[in-house]
Amino acid sequence: MKSSTQFKQDHSSASSPYFSDDVRDFSQVEKSIPCQEACPAKTNVPGYIRDIYEEKYGRAYEINRACNILPGVLGRICSRPCEEACRHGNDNNGDSVAICYLKRSCADLKSPMHRIIEGLYTPTGKKVAVIGSGPAGLAVAHELAVMGHKVTIYESEEKPGGMLMYGIPEFRLPRNLLLSEIENILRLGIDLHTSTMIGKDINLEDLHDIYDAIVAAIGCMKPRTLEVAGEGLENVYNGLDFMKMVNAGQTPYVGEKTVVIGAGFTAVDCARSAVRLGASQVDIHMRKTVELMRIDAHEKVEAQYEHIGLHGLMQPNRIIGENGRVTGIEFLRTRLEQTDRSPYRVSVPIENSEFVIPADTIIAALGQTPDKEVIFNRAQQSLTMEGYFSAGDFVSGSSDVIHAIADGKRCAQEVDHYLTGIVRKKKMVRIEPCSTTDRDRSFDFISRTAMDTIGLSERKAQLTAEVESGFNTEQAYEESKRCYLCNLRYEIDPQRCIYCSACIDVMPKDCIKMVKGIVFEDSGAYQSYETSQYWNQATAISIDNSKCIRCGKCLEVCPMDCISVHKTELVEVDLASESFE
Amino acid sequence: MASNDHYVIAGNGPAGNAALNTLRKNDPESRITIISDESVGFYSKPRLCSYISGRIEEDELFIHEDLSFDNTRLRLGQHIQSIDPDQKIIFLSHMEKINYTKLIIASGSKPSPSPYMTQFMPYLKSITDFHEAKTHKQCIHDAQQFLVLGGDLVGFKFIDMLISMGKAATLILYPQAFWPFVLDSDMVDRITASLEPKGIRIMVNDRIQSIQDADGGYQVATLNHARNEIEEHYCDQVFAFSGMTPNIDFACKKGFDIDHGILVNEYLRTRFQDVYACGSCAQIFNPILKVYQTTIGWTNAETQGEIAALNLLGANQVTRLAPQKYFDLEGVKIKTSWWDDTDENPNPDGDF
Amino acid sequence: MNTFDIVIEICGSAGEGTISAGEILARFMSSQGYEIMSFDSYPAEIRGFGKCVAHTRVNLNPIYSPGKYADVLIALNDKHAISQLGFLKPDGILIYDNQPASFHEEDQSVAGMAEPGVTLYGIPLTQLAHEAAGNSRGRNMVSLGAMACLMEIPKDDFVTAIQNRYASKKQIIIDNNIDSFVLGYNWTGENIKKIDEYSFKGTEPAPPEDKLIINGNQSVARAAIDSNISFYAGYPITPATKIMEIMGKELPKTGGIMLQTEDEISAIGAVIGAGFGGKRAMTATSGPGFSLMTEFTGLAVMSEIPAVIVNSMRGGPCTGLPTKTEQSDFNIAVAGGHGDAPRIVLAPVDTTDCYEATALAFYLAEKYQTLVVLLLDFFLSNSIRNIDVPKPINPSFLSANIAPEPDQLNGYQRYRITGSGISPRTIPGTPDGMYFSTGLEHDENGRPAYDSDTHEKMTRKRFVKHGNALDEAPDVVISGDDGDLDIGVISWGSSAGAAREAVDAARAEGIKAASFSSIMISPFPEEKLKVFADRCNTLLVPELNFTGQFADFIINFLQRPVVKLNFVTGLPMASEDILEKMRELR
Repeated sequence: MKSSTQFKQDHSSASSPYFSDDVRDFSQVEKSIPCQEACPAKTNVPGYIRDIYEEKYGRAYEINRACNILPGVLGRICSRPCEEACRHGNDNNGDSVAICYLKRSCADLKSPMHRIIEGLYTPTGKKVAVIGSGPAGLAVAHELAVMGHKVTIYESEEKPGGMLMYGIPEFRLPRNLLLSEIENILRLGIDLHTSTMIGKDINLEDLHDIYDAIVAAIGCMKPRTLEVAGEGLENVYNGLDFMKMVNAGQTPYVGEKTVVIGAGFTAVDCARSAVRLGASQVDIHMRKTVELMRIDAHEKVEAQYEHIGLHGLMQPNRIIGENGRVTGIEFLRTRLEQTDRSPYRVSVPIENSEFVIPADTIIAALGQTPDKEVIFNRAQQSLTMEGYFSAGDFVSGSSDVIHAIADGKRCAQEVDHYLTGIVRKKKMVRIEPCSTTDRDRSFDFISRTAMDTIGLSERKAQLTAEVESGFNTEQAYEESKRCYLCNLRYEIDPQRCIYCSACIDVMPKDCIKMVKGIVFEDSGAYQSYETSQYWNQATAISIDNSKCIRCGKCLEVCPMDCISVHKTELVEVDLASESFE
Repeated sequence: MASNDHYVIAGNGPAGNAALNTLRKNDPESRITIISDESVGFYSKPRLCSYISGRIEEDELFIHEDLSFDNTRLRLGQHIQSIDPDQKIIFLSHMEKINYTKLIIASGSKPSPSPYMTQFMPYLKSITDFHEAKTHKQCIHDAQQFLVLGGDLVGFKFIDMLISMGKAATLILYPQAFWPFVLDSDMVDRITASLEPKGIRIMVNDRIQSIQDADGGYQVATLNHARNEIEEHYCDQVFAFSGMTPNIDFACKKGFDIDHGILVNEYLRTRFQDVYACGSCAQIFNPILKVYQTTIGWTNAETQGEIAALNLLGANQVTRLAPQKYFDLEGVKIKTSWWDDTDENPNPDGDF
Repeated sequence: MNTFDIVIEICGSAGEGTISAGEILARFMSSQGYEIMSFDSYPAEIRGFGKCVAHTRVNLNPIYSPGKYADVLIALNDKHAISQLGFLKPDGILIYDNQPASFHEEDQSVAGMAEPGVTLYGIPLTQLAHEAAGNSRGRNMVSLGAMACLMEIPKDDFVTAIQNRYASKKQIIIDNNIDSFVLGYNWTGENIKKIDEYSFKGTEPAPPEDKLIINGNQSVARAAIDSNISFYAGYPITPATKIMEIMGKELPKTGGIMLQTEDEISAIGAVIGAGFGGKRAMTATSGPGFSLMTEFTGLAVMSEIPAVIVNSMRGGPCTGLPTKTEQSDFNIAVAGGHGDAPRIVLAPVDTTDCYEATALAFYLAEKYQTLVVLLLDFFLSNSIRNIDVPKPINPSFLSANIAPEPDQLNGYQRYRITGSGISPRTIPGTPDGMYFSTGLEHDENGRPAYDSDTHEKMTRKRFVKHGNALDEAPDVVISGDDGDLDIGVISWGSSAGAAREAVDAARAEGIKAASFSSIMISPFPEEKLKVFADRCNTLLVPELNFTGQFADFIINFLQRPVVKLNFVTGLPMASEDILEKMRELR
């Protein structure tokens, strides 16, 4: 690590877009655009929100689709790591931008005339089998198809989509939308064989003879079980089976008092489905605390709105039944303890703290594990065999859809390289000068647009009725204004700055600093500023792009016109093509 | 034991003040800051209804604590926004940082309106603090016909007060509102049997459909789910008492273990060294019953405030439950600590 | 009597619009029919980040002192406002910016430093200003909006007041200010639950009359113009500069001259020259300038030439406290300079007095052919009140020179000894009216004469003339109980207003009391004071200097002890402090 006052100068006077692979540019983009950095698929969030502001919903949809092939789906059920990271949600900045709802709105609001854009490569003649049509499988298949490979998907269930189709309830994700986005993928000439289970209907070895590569993207479909006595009693379900039944249009029995065990989305989905199936009292019980539930705040509110009770610090000890049926469940109380590994807080049962609550239905929604035995009888061996690849939850364990899609894309590139030996793309930072930020300071004071939902009676009346109504154009426009556009890079040219402090006088946050020097990382990227309160120590005045809310006030007041704004974008460019543009 | 400590007490209620007195007595040299989001000093919340009815004067509400120590500072009307327990900094909502060496969280509880009620909020009054009592005192005296929603402790006190003032009232009882306790149907029946002879009409679990201004009062439509009937009521005032929830937003997502309240061990220590919690914002581990308990009530709060302060100063006292453990709700005894199985004769004069 | 009385202070850093917000507030209150007194304090340095306080007291009845403690403090700057918290009432209101750009360290936030009992209203002033107008300049207007909402002041009338204040500015400036105010008002209405009891609701002030919103300096300048002054010479000095500014603007319109001289000595010289030439002339200065002028004041007395000097007192000695108020030039005004040099000294009590005393000063200077010193102070010069439009000046005041009768021009004696001491005076250019004028002692013809007899005669003549001016003194003001009194409060200048209010408050507490003040300080209405003093058990003399210069002056002829109450805090006399002393003396 070295300290220096040297500021990067090379391109700052350029007037047309240019591409950079400078480590400092990558690092700056990572640090400055927290939503994109938080997104496993590295979606260009400010880019598509800006398009929504300009009411170019189709273009916004394509920006999404470039990173994540199911924008309409993810716009509804994404776990939203971007919103956690959004600078608008930082302390004293208000609430994060409703990034996910906006994603949905570009899918909802795009013109019926919208055309999907695919940048197709020449066919390679290679054949790939993808096992599993969940998000990871679909992502792999799509990416490989784009690259010119012939892809066939094998799906053990009747319909494609995996967890999307069978795990997530329809009131959160309408099936026509899911199927239409899947259809858009399959249109690239991908064959889909449903109700075909590898290892049962077809042997893996047989596939190996036909295909040049095989990708296992079979997700995590093996539910974790409670491992307590009484699990075999009637009316004890595991969460995924329960959801499968509900999503298949069946009506599993729920009694008066339904107890759901779990702390994730599946637990909430089961509980909310039970409410719709007529359970009069539904409670979710979890080992850790309600605060540590692996769902977002919004989902918690919806659950409570549907009168679902949330109770923490207990773990099932045994299930009690009469005549083979559930009558109650015995819990042990737990307490939290610290570990030195993620997730850091773990629950520990307290001895002799048993207590019983009555229940006539129990749903254990404890998450899933990869069901490796199903396909790969010689699992360990297979996975290391040449030509075999895997993607998604099957690799990483149960996570979420956006991770699965991102991992699918990663896997596809690996497969492609294996099949062709070509490296097609390179990551670059595209940098374009902006003359104006085109963003009004008053936008910073718009509060987060709430999502309209249907009432409780409507929810109960129709099991599949979508709860969230989506944004209309006005709501989407208002919400899109809120984005700080962190992809805009503000820089003060130290050669021209006269240290007048006019920008510091108008700064809305603690965002412009007197800088003594810059600390570099070993890679050569900027790490942090060494700031000073004293003029005589300052070698430059600098805008902290990680605090900046892009209000543009400094730009307005600068008498020397020494503040520049560049639009930055993380792009993948084809190495082979003649020009980047 | 002179120290350079800066003790911060978050909350100016019975727990906070008991902690203050204990710290003051045992470590007179230390610097102490008490932070309260209310703009008035320490007062008796349980007596607010007596103040409204006129049985006691405003002055009698206040408990005058001796703050004439140079190194004790009371900060009123200042909200805690968040706590950084690693760096030991409290962030106030007016954007000031306070550095503490040891912290006692005694922030009590706050009303928790049910999500349904939010749309009717502009019409609903409540009595949760001194300011509201003072604001609504006159309109309570002026009104004749009341509609009371909920049924937490304050709600029943309020009903009692209305009876004593000769007012007419309808109570829509929500058995879940009585945090942290849920009234069972037997309790509801007994409460009904007790109140109805006193002229209070009781409805259970009916939902508000609409509230409209009418003739200086309100026209309220309620829906009875069981009978699927809508009923219209006219009343001069609508009051809602929808239960209490620990007032601990500032501690959420800051690393504290939080279930209903802030989880503390039997010594009232949170998972952070030097941070204690007591009173109704804390959920205290009971080593005998092996459960984290939430407690309510003035005596519990005072006892815990004292113990938290002593333990913070180095003692190792296990929280003892206050001798008074029951509230008397229209003849129904309700325990002041949740899931408490010890059996003791309820104190008939329970105050909270 | 309605007891409605609210003091609002806006405290900020220079350049934050503190003073202009205070001005708008005062003008608005006046336009609604309230009586106001506002007084700003600001740093001595013109540039920089010094502390500004705009202080406005609002009442339904005429008020004479600014009020020591504020009911409402609007903090535009935390650091400065913390130092102002000591002047906020224990149950007052603090309006502050709760969303600064970054966190304050412990005890650096005004809200954090407020005593328990103060009601805190945090308003995101900067954010709202940005929201309304895109920058933080409108914070002052946002804060006014928040205050108006909390005080339940109607929004639209206030908007009109802002419109009027900025009428001469560009439309965008008017709009930005109004938008900021309205946003502050509306935001507060929607987001803040009022929990204090201060309110303007139901105060029902008298319907607004045609009032002048004016400070002491403006009042003096206006009276000088109305007194047909044709020459002003001066050198700028706080707090008198404003008078010079007005003269520079107004005098040329009537053919008069404003001359900025190289220093104060030159200025008074030019004024005496103009007086010799028969023109009404004036200079205005403060203590340091007045010290320089003392040598020349003797010339005006000795050669019996009319001259008017306004001395607006500030904290001294030397450069002292340029922007703080004090009454420590009493001695130099009454007796400064060398020799037996009687001069007339007038000390107005309030803004209306400033007008009347100035008109009187020109009349007396001209009629009595002498120097008249008008003693103001920083507070009186700068405090703004809404006063009734002054009565037109008595025509006899406008032409007061006693010219010789035609027969007296035969063998004209410029310094003839008369019963009144006033010698008829010719204006240069009067045929047969030529005379010598000199600073040397002279005989009746104006020729230098050093014999004992002449010096004694002429000195007496000048003192007789001075003594006779007492006949022209404005009535002394005695306010309070009749008959025997526990306490008589004797005061002068701007402190007399606070004394009157303190006496009213003391009487409400059952203390028998009255206050005494005289605008004419020299010659002093000694007999009237003696009569008053005889009614009093205790005499209390509050004034803003260290030794009690005025108290010593009256002890001299009262020949009895008085209780001195002296402050040199740089702040105006507070009725609260006098009242406290009266309780003590009871």
